Formats: sequence, structure tokens, C-alpha cells
Amino acid sequence: MQVNRTGIWLIGFFGLLGLAMCVGPVLAGAPAEASLILASTGAIFVLVAAGLGWYARHARAKAAHQDWIFRNGIKGSATILEVGNSHTTVNEMPLMKLKLALDIPGVGRSEVTRREVMPVFTANRMDAGLTLPAYANPEDPAEFILVW
Amino acid sequence: MADLDATFAAFAAFAAERGLEPLPALGLGALTPLLVESKHCQVAPAARGRLGSETDGVVGHLAYTRNKTFRFNVALAEVHGSTALAPRLFCVRSGRSTRDDEFYGFEARYSKLWTESTALNQRYTISTSPYQDPNWMRQLFSPALVDYLATEPPADFSFELAYGILLGSVESDDPGADGLAALCEATAHVAERIARECGE
Repeated sequence: MQVNRTGIWLIGFFGLLGLAMCVGPVLAGAPAEASLILASTGAIFVLVAAGLGWYARHARAKAAHQDWIFRNGIKGSATILEVGNSHTTVNEMPLMKLKLALDIPGVGRSEVTRREVMPVFTANRMDAGLTLPAYANPEDPAEFILVW
Repeated sequence: MADLDATFAAFAAFAAERGLEPLPALGLGALTPLLVESKHCQVAPAARGRLGSETDGVVGHLAYTRNKTFRFNVALAEVHGSTALAPRLFCVRSGRSTRDDEFYGFEARYSKLWTESTALNQRYTISTSPYQDPNWMRQLFSPALVDYLATEPPADFSFELAYGILLGSVESDDPGADGLAALCEATAHVAERIARECGE
């Protein structure tokens, strides 16, 4: 997963609105009770923005690591043996469970399972027998990226 | 209705001229993003047979409605062996309306723009999987193919390669037999070029 423009806008919106709700009433000299209510709501907004920001940062670090594997990894292939739908969706994208025959030159063949969140169109095309490129981490061949 | 009659007439004339099998309608399945948009992933009318010198496939009329009705003429061909080298490659005319799913703040790492050819960037938006082999892309988009795509196909030509299926498309409502011929030739040219690159 990665944050997109909508996500950055949402993080900024909730963060700034939350901060304004925490600080604004105090600076404007609003009554204590109203300030407290607004500040409590604002704090929740700030926490939501901070959580989303943390997740975006984590996703970016993971993407950077996957990019490193792609650039430096051992290119092989992965043939789909079984496709399962976990019936879980993330932002309307299905979480697919794939059983793969992974074939990495110099490492060998192995059967692995992999969960991937995919757009609906791509998930519909995953089928047993389909062979996709894969890149294995040269430092840990059990770690790989699947090119779908 | 008159437009639809003209479309059926154009397809009948084109099928007769090229010796294709005319079909009133054909369900193609959810093979590419554009086909997914169509009701029941169907083209109507359609014709099946030889699209280019070495390429067989289907040519058909595709319509879908999202706020308004969008009409395309499409040509579909199989490109065997391409999935292992390029699972997805979308070359879409710049400015064409496509589904924008940015309703959510987070999305799957789905695609990456390929921007190495200025000549193609002026006319197309090209995207692939984020982990598409760039060397293979450079070999596929040889100067000859870049020159061809920049100058030869119909003005609104786009193509989608997805898991071994290539779908060429133009946006005109009624392209006539000449427009259908140009669509088929462009799609067949791209299919044959991709197949050759996969073969190497």
C-alpha cells in the first residue's frame, strides 16, 4: 500500500484542523468548557492524522525496501498453483491469497503462500497456471517480490 | 439509434471486406481494464478473424455508461508468453478519461509511469507494474516502435496489455470500415512487436 494525493490531503487536513481546534479556542479566549470540548475533538483529529502519517511512513519504507530488492534481487518466476480470496478487502481491493511455485535461479524451487492486496481487475485475472516474474532478496532468498 | 445502425453497418461491411466472421455480440470476459467497464464485458457488434498479417483476434464495438455513455471500437489479440515478461503494460492516449480510484487515501502499489520516450509522452501515458524490467521495456520500445506509435496509428489509439491479452482501442463512435482497418492494423502491429520481443 502507498499513500496517494488524497491521503496526503487527508493527513494535512485532519492534522491542521485538529491543531486549530486544540489551540484556537484558547487563543480566542473562548469559555473553558467549550475550549475543552473542541480541544478533545481536535486531539482525536491530530491522533488520526499522526496514525495515518505513521502508516504512510511505514508503507514508504517498505516500498523503498521492495524497490531495493527489485534493483538488486535475483530474477526468477512464480507460477500460481492456487488462488484464494480471503473475503477481506482493503479500500474495496480484495486481499488475495496465492499459493506459488517459486523458482529462483541458484536457489531452487519452493512452494510458498503470499497475500497481496490487488485492484479488482488484477485479482480477477489471477488464475492457477499463470507465471509471473519474481525477484528474490539476494541476502534472504525467502523474501521476494511478486510482479503482478 | 441511427448511430448504432451505422455502427452495425460499418462492422458488417468491414467483416465482409476482410473475410471476418460477423457476430451480433460477443462476451470477452474481464480481460483488461477497459473491458471491465463494459456491461457483461461484451462487445456488440463484433467480428472474428485475421486482424493483421500474423495476428488473429476479435474486433468489436464497446460501450459503457458512467455519468454519460462512452463508446469505443476495440481489437483484441492474444500475445502468448508476454505475462512472464510484462504482466501489464498500458499505453493510453494522453487526456483519455480513465477510472480514477483516488477516493481513498491509500492504494495498492499498482503502477509506475514509464517516461523514457519524449516522443511517446507527447501522445500517450504509459504505465506498467512498479517492478517491470526497464531493460525489457527499452528493448520493446525500439526506435522503430516509438516512431510507429508516434505517427502511424489512428489519432485516439490506445492499447492495454494485460496478462497475455492485448486490447487496442479508438474512441470514435462510427469509425467506418477504414477506421476499423486502421485499428486492427495498429493492434496487430503492436501484438506482433510484443510477441517478437517476448520470443527473443
